[in-house]
Formats: sequence, C-alpha cells, structure tokens
Amino acid sequence: MAESFDKHVLNNGMVLLGEPMEAVESVAFGFMLPAGAALLPEGCCGAGSVIADWIFRGAGDKSSRQLGDALDGLGLVRGCSVGSSHIGIGVALEAGNLAEALELYADIILRPSLQEDQFELARQLAIDGVHSLDDDPRQKVMLKLREQFYPSPLGRSTVGEVAELEALMVETTRRIIKNNFNLSQTIFTVAGKYDFDAICGQMEKLFSRTKPAPGGAAVSVRDKAGKYTHIDDDSAQVHIALMTETVKPTDEDYYNARVAVSVLSGGMSARLFTEVREKRGLCYAIGARYHGLKEAAGIMCYAGTMPQKGQETLDVIIGEFNRLAEGISEEEIARAEVRLKSALILQSESSSSRAGAIGADYYMLGRVRSLDEIKNKIEQTTVDSVLGFLRNNKFKDFTVVTIGPKKVTVK
Amino acid sequence: MEFKKKELANGLCLIGEINKSAKSAAVGFFVKTGSRDETEQINGVSHYLEHMLFKGTEKLSALEVNKAFDRTGAQFNACTSEENTVFYAAVLPEYLVEVTKLWIELMRPALRNEDFNIEKSVIKEEIAMYKDLPSFDVMDRCRRLHFDGHPCGNSVLGSEKSVGNLTAEQMRDYFARRYAPNNMVLACAGNFDWDQICSVVEVPCGRWQQQVATRKLEDCGGSKKKERIEKSNLAREHICLMSAGVSAQDPRRFAASLLGIIVGDDVGSRFFWELVDKALAEAAAMQSVAMDGTGTFYSYIRCGSENVCKVLDTVRNIFDSLSKDGITEDELRKAKNKILSALVIKNELPMGRLVDLGSNWIYLEQYRTVEDDISAVKAVTIDDIHSLIEQFNPGDFTQLSIGPAG
Repeated sequence: MAESFDKHVLNNGMVLLGEPMEAVESVAFGFMLPAGAALLPEGCCGAGSVIADWIFRGAGDKSSRQLGDALDGLGLVRGCSVGSSHIGIGVALEAGNLAEALELYADIILRPSLQEDQFELARQLAIDGVHSLDDDPRQKVMLKLREQFYPSPLGRSTVGEVAELEALMVETTRRIIKNNFNLSQTIFTVAGKYDFDAICGQMEKLFSRTKPAPGGAAVSVRDKAGKYTHIDDDSAQVHIALMTETVKPTDEDYYNARVAVSVLSGGMSARLFTEVREKRGLCYAIGARYHGLKEAAGIMCYAGTMPQKGQETLDVIIGEFNRLAEGISEEEIARAEVRLKSALILQSESSSSRAGAIGADYYMLGRVRSLDEIKNKIEQTTVDSVLGFLRNNKFKDFTVVTIGPKKVTVK
Repeated sequence: MEFKKKELANGLCLIGEINKSAKSAAVGFFVKTGSRDETEQINGVSHYLEHMLFKGTEKLSALEVNKAFDRTGAQFNACTSEENTVFYAAVLPEYLVEVTKLWIELMRPALRNEDFNIEKSVIKEEIAMYKDLPSFDVMDRCRRLHFDGHPCGNSVLGSEKSVGNLTAEQMRDYFARRYAPNNMVLACAGNFDWDQICSVVEVPCGRWQQQVATRKLEDCGGSKKKERIEKSNLAREHICLMSAGVSAQDPRRFAASLLGIIVGDDVGSRFFWELVDKALAEAAAMQSVAMDGTGTFYSYIRCGSENVCKVLDTVRNIFDSLSKDGITEDELRKAKNKILSALVIKNELPMGRLVDLGSNWIYLEQYRTVEDDISAVKAVTIDDIHSLIEQFNPGDFTQLSIGPAG
C-alpha cells in the first residue's frame, strides 16, 4: 500500500491536495467551501441549500442553461451537498476532461451570476426539500437527531427551516457567498489519474487572484436541546434515532471508539444486528455509526419498527450500548478490525472516495493519513484498549428522537 | 482483463473476469428468480427466501454464518428484484476463496421452521418500512397497475397478507424448483486466481440437481390506466409514469438508456430544465429499465399539490415535442458523454464490474467487455432514438400518484 500524496498551497492560502491512483482512467475532484450550515448567520437556516443550487444557475459569461450544457457536455458525474462545516462540491469524470472542468468550476465558485429571478427558483426548491422530509421519516429523524444532539449551531439542519427560508433575502445570501466562499479556508482535492504540476499551474491562474482573507470566527456553541423529542406521524413504523457522545477524530482514543462501534454495529455478526434483528425480529433496519465533527462527536443509531415494538427496541439498543463496557471477546475485536481495514482498502479503489477522504482528513486533522497509518492504528487496538476506553468514557446521556404514531419512554 | 468460463455438467455456469491490478475481488451468485416467477399465493417468497439463505445450513447457524462473513471483512449483501436474486460480496483478494466457499454452502440452506418464523417479523418490518417511503411505494403500485396481471407487476416484497400466510413448506418447494444449478450463474471479477476458484466450486456445486426452471416470457404493452391514491399523512405528490420499453436482450437497450438520460437525467435533461430548474417539481427523473423479454420506461416526479396540473401539462408537452420534433444531435452527444463516464467509473471497481458481468450472462449468455458497451453507446444514432420514440411512444403511459387528501 505504498502511497504518495501531493500538496500545494496557493498564495491566498487555498490548499490543493492530491492522491494519484494507478489503474484508473477516471479522476475525481472536490472543493470544500467553508459555508456549511453551522457557519451561516442566525436566521438563515437553509441558505446553504439555496446557495448549492443558485451558484449553478449561470456563472462567468454563461447563462444557467449554457453552464448546465457545458457541464453535461464533459460527461461529469457531479454533486453539491451541504454539511455542517462545508458546502462540498464533488465531481468525477474521465481524466482527459479535467482541465476544462476546472475552468467551469472556477467560474461557479468565483463568478456565479447570482441573479434575482434565479434566486427565487433556488429558494423554492430548498423550501420544497424541507417539505419533502415529511414524506421521508427516516431522513427527517436523523436530521432532527443531529439538531438535538449537537450543541447549537453544530447540528443545525443542513436542509433548512421553512420560515427562515421564506424570510431569506437575495442580498443576505449574496453576502454569505461573498464572506464564506473564502479561498483561504477552502480545500481542493483531487484523486485518480492527473498531472499535479499541470493542476497547480492551472489552479494558480484560476484561483490565486483573490487575496488572502482572515478565517471566519470559530463556531461558538450553545447548550444542547432536549433529551427526548417525539414527532407525531401516522406512519407504519416508529422511526427511532438516538445518539450519545464519544471522542472526536483528533482524540488519541479515536480508533478505540471506531473499533467499539464496529463491535456494536459493524457487520451482521455485530451485537445490534444479532440482538435486535436476528434474535428478536424487532427491526429490518438497525445500525449505529460513528459521526464526528471537528468540535464534537457521537455514536448515532437508527431503528425502524412497528409502533407496538418501539419501546422494546429502544430498551434492547440502549442495553447493548451499555453492555459493551462489560466485556468484549478477542474474536469480536478481530472481526471488527478486519472489517474496518477491508472497508478502508475497498473504498480506496474509488477516486471519488479518496478525493473525499483526503479532504476530510485535512480539515479534521490538518494532514492526510496514509492507509498504512490507519491500518496500523486499527491493528494496535486490543480488547484491553477498547474496554479501557469504554470504561473511562461511559455512555451517559442518550439523545433520542422518534417519529411515529406512538411515543417511547426514555429512562 | 482476461475472461474465463466453465460450465459444470449440471448446467451451473462459472464466469470470471480477471484484473490483476485491482486491489479487491468480488463474487456473486446470480439466481434467475424473482417476484415474476411467483404465483399470488406465494407472492414475496423470492425476497423472503433471500433473507432465509443467511439463516444457515444443516451445519451452520445464522450467527455462525454472520461471523464467517465478518471474519473476511467482506462487504456483502443480497438483493431481490422482479426477476433476479443476487448474492454478492467484495473482499480483499486473499479472502475471495473463503467467501466463495461460504456462498456455495449457503446456496443449500436449511430453511428451518424456527428461523422462518422469526424472519417473518423482519420481513413484515421491511414491508412497513417501505410503506413509509412513498417514493418507493408509488413505483411498486404503478408497476402493478402498468403490468396489469402480467407477472412483472408482482410486488417484490409481497403484502403483509401473502407473507403472513406463506409457509416454510411452500418456500422449500419454491427453493427446490428455482435454485437449480442450471438457473444460476456464479461470477467473479477483480484480482483472483481462476483455477483456485474453479477448484472450490466444482465438487460441492457439481452435486446440485438440475431442474426444469422455466419462466413465462411475454412482452407487455402496459395498461395505460391512471389512478390516484390519497394518504392523509403525506406532504407531497409522488407521481410515477410507466410505459413500454425495450428488453434486456434487445440491441436497442443502449438507445433506450440514452433516451432515458435525454428526457429524465437528474440534471441537464428535458425534465430537469422544464420541471426542476423552473421549481415546478423538486425531483423528476426518467429511465429505461430493460427486463427479461420486456421492458419499461419509468419516471418519478415529486412536487407540491398546487403544481400537479402544471407538472402533468409540462410532461405532456415534453413527450409531444419528443414525438413531433425528436431530439437534437447536441442532446445525444451530452447523453453519450454522461453514460460513458458513469460506465467507466462504475467499472473501475470489481464490485461494479461484477454486476455487469453477471447481468450480461443472465440475460444474454454473453461476455461483454466494458469496451463493447462503450462502442455500443457510441454507435447509437439520432435515427435510432427517433425510431424508438416512434415505436414506443413514451408519452402514452400508465400513471399512478400518491398524495395528500385534496
């Protein structure tokens, strides 16, 4: 697994990271723009969704239609998503079209047209997106969970709030783009088949004209919201989401936490699947995963079950969280480790996954971890290290959200 | 890339495409059975059986099966459609033999009564879960309305009633008829040793008994009925449109995929510019779904209740203009570029490659390289698309909507 990474920093502070991959004809690139939901001004929840649409409605000398046609003409597989910390732009394509694609994205990021009539359409779609959550209780319950679990504004909805979207003004949104599309704080990543010198030369020309700007203020967090939230809905299942605090990606116990989560829910032999689904038939969908932001992290869990089984499902899940610290077998740790290592290598074959992973590492840790480093850290965890971690970091509070026809009791 | 093939005396086909530069390998059993091969009484059995395969064999309990998979670090799962049940795993090369052996064992499951009973609750939960997902529910119901008695309209999950009444005995009988070696393909892709795989397959799989496993194959033009269902807890209107399309064996399937992209890709399509870009609908997509001996074009549109009439008028205009004026060279060029890059990116992963390898064998009994598919996409002409539109007239569709009480 000999890997090398490329890195170059533009004069204005924008960081370019690359991971060359043999045996692929594709290349993937991404921009992490510091305009995530937690970084938006108060009262603008959902502005990220509007921005992620609006900037594609014309840029440089191209109208919305011309820009769309140009992107399609290059056969780009493209996406734009809003997270807590960033708006993420991700693109995968055949390597030969990279230079042309970067020209278009420079226009989108630096010279979006931001016309008023197009703003109304982008805003309407963002509002529709919030309404649609009502017809997707599983997604809604997870968004609500993050909102309740993380201290505000870290868990702020990445989709938006209808009232705030309706009140959002064109000028406010233009100002957010101007302030938050700060290249000094932007990370550009590329993975797959590329020539890094050529990319650096092109990116210098395209992006280094803007001057360095100071970084935005760190997010100041407030208290967490409630412990249990229920949203009444005449749905077939009760959708249960819960989350409890754990160590952040920068913590020395991070890998112990990841292995512990894998013992709990890393595969079909893991505890939640075995106890909740296999032995009791309580659920079809059941799973827990690690969720980390720079400022805080937790283990989040989802289960969907028919209303009469909601309480038992919740009780069994919380019981399994708490039972972890009581003991873990060597065999469980071995399975958890091999699963985590395999997942890592399987993902490393995809240029899009790698472009995303190196950017996330750089943002969280200030550097890119090699696959070997991660693999070694996973291998260094033992029954004792994981149990030690669990006993020193007992799961205290669970934030619980349910959507469905029947409430549960959170003890 | 090197292609290998071997057929056992009982009809089991083993195929592989070796890519020594891959970091992983993938293996899958493609069983040619699904909800279209069921009767009303046993509707849902294919999917339920897929679950039951993980419950173990005479020698292995369910927990032992799960542990055995997890020991290999496999990313594994199974899925059931109207016509195929696929069991697959992606692993590091050193684990491929182990995981292949495990799948081989599981292809002869114990189907124990006690496991059957517990799993019934899980299946009922899965049915309930999809009821809460109107974007899925609307397609399932529209398929039934469109196929109107043709077995391709059977629900994959079955209903709470059909699953509730199903017995383990009925499942065992279905298994014996459908999981015959001559009705399945074992495919491998990525970095693996062909001879080694053959050596672990031949003896155990060679014992499996051949059966007569047939399928009713007839094309279906679709009912073209229109229905709407109200559900009080919904916030949006979910609309599914379905019309006749080309089959998986039809050489025009590449043209049909391109037509799907031109009309209904997520971005840059006619649906996108007329419906989504103008904020009339929040989602609007059309695609070609090629099946065994038949096929469909289907569309999914989601919008607010206030926009339904406008959306449907716009859809009608899009299809009218398609029939009257056809498509442009520029639209075809963009659609080709999109399909080609998605094809290249997907096939860079052994797991992605496995899907195409297995499907091509199931439907065509043919090995096709990625380059074959690339050439086939490139060769499609504007006239091909126009004759497809003329013959299939996608504007003449079955329509099912689910939305709030109006």
